[in-house]
Amino acid sequence: MKRPALLDEPKRELWLAWYATVAFYSLYAIVFFLVTRTQPPGKPWYDPTQVVGWFANRHDGLLIGFAIIFVLGGLSATSIALITYSIRRMSVSRAFSYSYLVLYAVSAVPGFLFICVAMTVGAMRPERNPVIQRWLYDLGFLSFSGTMGVFLIGSLIWMTAILLDKNRVFPKWFAYLNLCNALTEVVVAPSWIFHVGAFAWNGVIAWWINVVVFGVYTGAFIYLLRCMILREDFGTGPLPDLPSRHWHTIFPAEVGAS
Amino acid sequence: MSTFNKRLFAVWLILVGITASYLWIDHSAGQRGVPTASTVITVGAICFALIKVRIIMREFMEVRGAPQLLCRLTDFWVVLMGVAMLGVYFAGKAVA
Amino acid sequence: MTTTESPASLLPPKSSRHVPGQPDMWVFVLFESLVFTSYFCVYLYARTQHEAAFLRSQAHLLLWLGVLDTVVLLTSSWAVARCVQHARAGRYGLARRDAWVTAGLGFVFLVLKIVEWARLIHFGHTFTSTQFFQYYFFLTAIHFVHLLIGFVVIGVLILQLKDPRRRRQETVETCATYWHTVDFFWVLIFALLYVVR
Repeated sequence: MKRPALLDEPKRELWLAWYATVAFYSLYAIVFFLVTRTQPPGKPWYDPTQVVGWFANRHDGLLIGFAIIFVLGGLSATSIALITYSIRRMSVSRAFSYSYLVLYAVSAVPGFLFICVAMTVGAMRPERNPVIQRWLYDLGFLSFSGTMGVFLIGSLIWMTAILLDKNRVFPKWFAYLNLCNALTEVVVAPSWIFHVGAFAWNGVIAWWINVVVFGVYTGAFIYLLRCMILREDFGTGPLPDLPSRHWHTIFPAEVGAS
Repeated sequence: MSTFNKRLFAVWLILVGITASYLWIDHSAGQRGVPTASTVITVGAICFALIKVRIIMREFMEVRGAPQLLCRLTDFWVVLMGVAMLGVYFAGKAVA
Repeated sequence: MTTTESPASLLPPKSSRHVPGQPDMWVFVLFESLVFTSYFCVYLYARTQHEAAFLRSQAHLLLWLGVLDTVVLLTSSWAVARCVQHARAGRYGLARRDAWVTAGLGFVFLVLKIVEWARLIHFGHTFTSTQFFQYYFFLTAIHFVHLLIGFVVIGVLILQLKDPRRRRQETVETCATYWHTVDFFWVLIFALLYVVR
């Protein structure tokens, strides 16, 4: 009987990191969308009374959900580490992997910690002054949606590394998808200006379409990281391809190449 | 100029011609300075734009010489964009 | 198997059909087209809900300027298409010239766009003044960002063409594919912002 991949000594840690990545993003989705219901975001035009109502509707969810994130949020490190590993496996300078690592390590703070703190504080004392409650609400959502600089540059670093890479760690289409993801960070910038409409932090363009792009991007890199681990030979040269049934899904460029 | 270059030039002329025809649309849209809505112009503008996109794809982007899959995919994409935009436009008008 | 070529056809025989550039770039083109189409749909829907207001704002745009912008980009696309053909035929000097022409026309478009924005802002029409202008500045700005990326891509193209050791026809075609995408996005944006009534 074939040994399950998980028991392969050299790759065990990589698989651990990959499963932790899947666990993190699943947890993130469940907590933000279902438990706390902070995504889709609250409406930016709410007056203080409405904001108090928003917190009241989500009181338990916010406290429980974000408590889970505070405890387990460190799992986000595994996805960053695995991606950094993938960039190190490329033929490009290590400066790319180090830059990505630093940028994304910092990104956890605006990426989800700010909103967790702000919303937990808001939920903690429902009797607080409504104006201050709205301040917390604004802080939470603006910091979540509006602080996109690190992700923009990080995506561009990953994109450039993939395009320059000779070890074929990732397919070139994923480099271009990084560009699409980076551009969504530009698209979300107007959410600092608008309280209503398509460009507000809950707008069709600034949030909904962006989330679809982000979802596709995240799904793609989780899948490609899996493929990378399967192909990993712990060398420094080009990664071997997967067995032929995977060929078409990863490297369409290779198919029929003369 | 080789035959091939003449084709590209002809394509460019057609594209510029369609673009210039938009100026005529503007003149026929109504009195200058008094903007009026027009479904015909909207649909026409979108359709002409998509025709140009298809021409750009097939001629400039060389999809003509590409495998059938890419030809069909790009044609499908042009249709998809048209259906989406016109669909939303008419749905919006119905709701308004 | 016989391959038939129609008399005026300049198509390669079926056996040598190839994907222009990296298929990966086509993935990007198709995906980004969907993203832009979704933006266009949001704009068109908003237009139908506020028809009169959008028309009033739109009247401040200069259609002839939009037409000029489009013709400039179409010509730049023509230049890069010729560049690809020259490169394929080994005429790298001409290919490089066409690549520079492409970049030059892209630069003309950039200047026209900045002038147009400056003019609109001067007359008090900004990103926040009306809903139409929110969409106008958003769509033209996101396209502008794609154009700026396009300059990097043309830079890569020129570097490819300069160095006999580096050049790969596939990379040349890939860069051209990107530039054409910038062009056809503008074709759609122009029709939606300047012409649609």
